[in-house]
Amino acid sequence: MLVQDAMQTPVYTALVDQSLEATYRFMQTEKVRHLPVLQDGQLVGVITDRDLRYATSRLHERPFEPGDRVGNVMSTPPITIGPLEPVEEAARLMRQHAIGCLPVLDAGNLAGIVTGTDLLDALMRMTGITKPGGRLAVRLPDTPGRLAALTGRVAQEEINIRSVLSYNEDDDHLYVLLHIDTINTHELADALRTESFDVVWPPQRPRPAA
Amino acid sequence: MTAFLFHPEYRSYYFGPEHPFSPVRQEMLLDLLEALGCTPEIQRPQPASEEELIKIHDAAFVEAVAAAHPDDPATHRRDLGLGTADVPVFKDMHEAARLLVGGTLTAAQLVASGKHDRALQMGGGLHHGQRALASGFCVYNDLSVAIHHLRDEGLRVAYLDIDVHHGDGVQAIHYEDPGVLTISLHETGRYLYPGTGRVHELGEGAAKGYSLNVPLEPFTEDASYLDVFERVVPYALEHFHPDVLVVQCGADAHFSDPLADLLLTTKAYEQLFRRILELADKHAAGRAVYTLGGGYAPDATVRIWTILALLLMDASLPGKLPSSWVEAWSEKLGTDLTPTLHDAPRTFDIPRSKTIFSQNEQVSKRLLELVATAWYQAW
Repeated sequence: MLVQDAMQTPVYTALVDQSLEATYRFMQTEKVRHLPVLQDGQLVGVITDRDLRYATSRLHERPFEPGDRVGNVMSTPPITIGPLEPVEEAARLMRQHAIGCLPVLDAGNLAGIVTGTDLLDALMRMTGITKPGGRLAVRLPDTPGRLAALTGRVAQEEINIRSVLSYNEDDDHLYVLLHIDTINTHELADALRTESFDVVWPPQRPRPAA
Repeated sequence: MTAFLFHPEYRSYYFGPEHPFSPVRQEMLLDLLEALGCTPEIQRPQPASEEELIKIHDAAFVEAVAAAHPDDPATHRRDLGLGTADVPVFKDMHEAARLLVGGTLTAAQLVASGKHDRALQMGGGLHHGQRALASGFCVYNDLSVAIHHLRDEGLRVAYLDIDVHHGDGVQAIHYEDPGVLTISLHETGRYLYPGTGRVHELGEGAAKGYSLNVPLEPFTEDASYLDVFERVVPYALEHFHPDVLVVQCGADAHFSDPLADLLLTTKAYEQLFRRILELADKHAAGRAVYTLGGGYAPDATVRIWTILALLLMDASLPGKLPSSWVEAWSEKLGTDLTPTLHDAPRTFDIPRSKTIFSQNEQVSKRLLELVATAWYQAW
């Protein structure tokens, strides 16, 4: 998924000469926490509700006044991203700089914004949980062809896969989570087990105690 | 007096011999009741009309179902859940599905009009059906069509869903109606279909606090299930003051069910059904509509629904099942059926049993905290 598929557009913005008070009220009404700041139509910074609260706090060394300019409080230059970058790159940038949003610049123009919340939405879409389905978790040896064998086996049952997520559990194993469009995951899991797949979920039925 | 709804054509809601949602379950049930000398007086419903269907479903969805034909792949609207692994298209699917809706709707009409205080729809319970999506063996949502009728009659409806899967369709359809309380007890959706039914799905707007979900740990046993039921259900009904209950009696939380991971025995089901009858008497003047639902181990499912039907007839429960029935159906199914109404007494060797009990207890407490907060905020 690319940034352009996860970003919000059009974007609310602030102007560099706008007052802190007006900006804060705008954020309250529109329920946003981040605003790209424009000067002559060009992106020059980012202002957050936290910047505003700190800048006007009595705990600040030299608190700003409600009438002061946004330009004096904003973070500049802004850290930005392009629309064709993958969303995980947006996540890495935000983590690296410990920030909550990235203005999206397309050929120098502000095209959108990605926030942490948008990345959570992207996560939900990538895991496929916005539609009903069951989950199948399989631990695969991290060697070529194992994932293909797994998905091929699911395809044989004519079951649609809504999403595939995987991560390296350790150096030798890939943990794969399939979100599949069926209520009947056990039958598939049993079949996979007889073909020596290490199915983590659904579990094997416990045997009754004698 | 309980009304019993059934139609021989219910069997045409049939996804094929390999599919777990099989009408053989009802055939076995009726046959067993007859063998027990407890044949109910059956009323045959009319199919629901399209007008009734589109009170719940998108007209375009209903059209797509009506147009679906097994031999014409172009009519398999996978975007609407039709022609999938779980809901393969079969011939005359629309007719079969709307007959099941008709049964549940008729049950609701008989109760709303006061002709009967309770009704058992011997089919239906298709709780995964959504406005424009067939899902989890469910084409049309008979429960929601029935609930809609009860709402039109001015009744407050408490919907109780004991199927092992979350009642996501019914919940979503009535999510913003404060006149419908939905309570679903199910195996957690962490892995199990449909994946929803978390405690924080509480309803929307004025209906916040009127969708209750108790997601239970895999391998939950009788004692824990009944414990959380007692914590949540009576309390919610007490608060809500329903005029009528609609109960989806899926039997797939049984330990032998091949699709899910709860470990209930038939003893728990008997207690559960007795409690639900008591609660209907106490909170809704006895008015209740019961439907069948999931249940994919025919041996257990039929015994569980027999318990339900007999309790609704105020008949006594037998110990042994008629050997003629056991033998005939064992032969037909090619497997040995349990010769008694109840499971043979058994325990499970679950090392995590105590943790599971405590986790379920915590989850139901958490739910009650959230719900109480929503109720107080509304005042």
